[in-house]
Amino acid sequence: MSKWIKRHALSFGLVCALLGVFLLLLVFTQPTTQASAAPLAEKHDLTNDDCLVCHQKEGMTAEIGGQAIPLTINAEKYSASVHGEEQVACVACHANITSFPHPEVTASSPRDFSLEMYPTCQQCHTEQYQKVLDSVHQTALAAGNTNAAVCTDCHNPHTQTRLTNKDTGELLLGAKLVIPQTCAKCHSTIYEEYKSSVHGSALTNEGNQYVPTCIDCHGVHNIGDPTSNSFRNSTPGLCANCHTNETIMKQYGISTNVINTYVADFHGTTVKMFEENFPDQPTNKPVCTDCHGVHGIMKPDDPEAGIAFKKNLLVKCQQCHPDATTETFTDSWLSHYEPSPQIFPVVYYVNLFYKIFIPAVLGGMIFYVLTDVYRRFIVPRLRGGKGASHK
Amino acid sequence: MSAKTKSYERFPLARRIEHLTMLLSFTILGLTGLPQKFPTAALSIAFVNLLGGIENLRSIHHVAAIIMMLGTVWHLLVFGYMAYVRRTRLSMLPSLQDAKDGIQALLYNLGFAKTFPQMGRYTFEEKMEYWAFVWGTAVMVVTGFMMWNPLATVKFLPGEAIPAAKAAHGGEAVLAVLAIIIWHMYGVHVKRFNKSMFTGKMSEEDMLHEHPLELADIKAGVAERPVEPVTLRKRQQIYLPIAAAITIVALGALYGFVNAEQTALTTTERQIPTIEVYVPQTLTPAPTQTPTSLPTASPTPLPTQPGTDSTPTAPASSLTWDNAVGAILQNQCSTCHGTLASGGLNISTYADAVKGGKSGAVILPGDSVNSLLVIIQQSGGHLGQLTPEELAQVIEWINAGASEK
Repeated sequence: MSKWIKRHALSFGLVCALLGVFLLLLVFTQPTTQASAAPLAEKHDLTNDDCLVCHQKEGMTAEIGGQAIPLTINAEKYSASVHGEEQVACVACHANITSFPHPEVTASSPRDFSLEMYPTCQQCHTEQYQKVLDSVHQTALAAGNTNAAVCTDCHNPHTQTRLTNKDTGELLLGAKLVIPQTCAKCHSTIYEEYKSSVHGSALTNEGNQYVPTCIDCHGVHNIGDPTSNSFRNSTPGLCANCHTNETIMKQYGISTNVINTYVADFHGTTVKMFEENFPDQPTNKPVCTDCHGVHGIMKPDDPEAGIAFKKNLLVKCQQCHPDATTETFTDSWLSHYEPSPQIFPVVYYVNLFYKIFIPAVLGGMIFYVLTDVYRRFIVPRLRGGKGASHK
Repeated sequence: MSAKTKSYERFPLARRIEHLTMLLSFTILGLTGLPQKFPTAALSIAFVNLLGGIENLRSIHHVAAIIMMLGTVWHLLVFGYMAYVRRTRLSMLPSLQDAKDGIQALLYNLGFAKTFPQMGRYTFEEKMEYWAFVWGTAVMVVTGFMMWNPLATVKFLPGEAIPAAKAAHGGEAVLAVLAIIIWHMYGVHVKRFNKSMFTGKMSEEDMLHEHPLELADIKAGVAERPVEPVTLRKRQQIYLPIAAAITIVALGALYGFVNAEQTALTTTERQIPTIEVYVPQTLTPAPTQTPTSLPTASPTPLPTQPGTDSTPTAPASSLTWDNAVGAILQNQCSTCHGTLASGGLNISTYADAVKGGKSGAVILPGDSVNSLLVIIQQSGGHLGQLTPEELAQVIEWINAGASEK
């Protein structure tokens, strides 16, 4: 045995060395795969305390392109923020700052500075950053609209608190409440409309956690173009996410059959077919929002604008049927009701008639055909004789 | 056998073309209609896709409906001609005998009757199908009109009539398609392939089995009632103008049916609401917090008392390092210019402060104008920035000689 080792000492040593190199490589390459942790784990020369000595002074500002930019960081707010919680170093993002005096800011304006800075977010938030690249905001930015939101416009990196449960990734209720306010920073008129809607008022007045906020329809980071055909055609599916959910809807006594009744109708049939086959093509048939509204969705029985009232519904019909002038026309749409002897009885009885008439007629036909088959094809065979015709 | 070879004309060419027209339009209507009744079925979606979308499918459905309605008008005109001009027997009219025949056929099939009923030109099965077709066409035309022209419909009927029409149209469609598959397919294709609707002829043997009474009438020479040429001419002269009038009215009605109402079909262009999307909130804008006296990019004049700043003579001042300036500088500058000694400058002690940093002395006693500390602070943009009051005190102190005590 020892002889064997001696004889093969060289090869043994070589193998050990290779193994060692391999293990070392493994150890050193490991941390880089955890991309999101890398900037946090790095040791920086400047600690946050170093920065805060100056930067927590009140009223500290600098000028970029003639416009003042605040430089004060509220240390308490920062440590309460998700970045503070995770002990993210200031210089993890402000990576070009290593000493004082700081390198000169080349941005031409505070906005320009934000636009220069935001790509730093992808160091840790790669997934979100990638999604944003497909968003309507990024498209607008690429087209030269510098007002288009970037990461830091929605998430102030110095104060942003945790939005999702760290373990489950679920949106926190508190976070849900501030979403519309975040979007309102740029979309204030839409926010006002939303706030007055059945969804928005429930959120802002009651803290209702089931109503949709902006992101439930528009998405979060990969916010698409809301005027596109595909977005419009997908509307029934969006609304169905909640409106076919029995547990949510029963709290408000709302039917979960709204999509079925819609698809059963002429308009819904068309849109359904469209969505399936040509999601990008325009259709002039109405989707949910054409009658119910977009951001300012009201209860159907809202005394002012509720479309349960024929005069309000007629206005909606007239958007596509300008010649419809009588309120009776509105009854040609069943208002998501399933016909019953009480509601839309004519439709109910027509359906009932065919429910009986079709099996009765076809049953009779099938019975006669079967007797004919029996007499014509089976009886002669039983008798062993030939002749496929009646005598 | 002469019974095998001899055949009788059953359907003239015009009737066969009529049948073919109805056959094609009916099939197209069924194929394009049922996917609309069952829009969520995968087969429906696939078929709609095949036809290039729901709007195409509807157009095809509408064209087929027009063809079927034209066929119906033609059928009525032919009926009028046969009933009034030719005065042929109304052999398609149902009668009590048909009910009796039906019962007898059923009993025969079940073995309760000895013989199969003997029937004439049209058997009870054919009559049943014909009148089912008449009923179905009537229902489909009326309900189809209501769906095609909802605005005109609500002038006379409640709005609910339109979804009711849709329900009936769909129910009737299912019934018609299934009835054709069960009754028609079996009756003329399965039980005995009856080609007479395509060849126009039926063999004597088949006549004997299917229409023995008609065969007997033909043989007896009483199947057709000949009309005197003069009478025929006279009747034709009366009927043709009437038929022309009926045709014009029917075609006019059909034109109205199809074209009167466009709004429910093409509708108006979809309006995309134009809303101002970017409307930022007018909160107190953060940048305007800037105190006016804070340094700006262009160096501002000294905020100190005029006349004192540049005078080389040391004015009297009670300010010393120990009683004021040391504390000011340590408070504002020591983070970097303390133990870190950024740029070599450490202002922790009076001695170090006066010594200066890499760029040399920063405090020139009696000469604030040329003191680097003052120059840097006045030009602004330095990270640690003295307040104007503090700077004024420092300048006063330097000009007074920058004493420690």
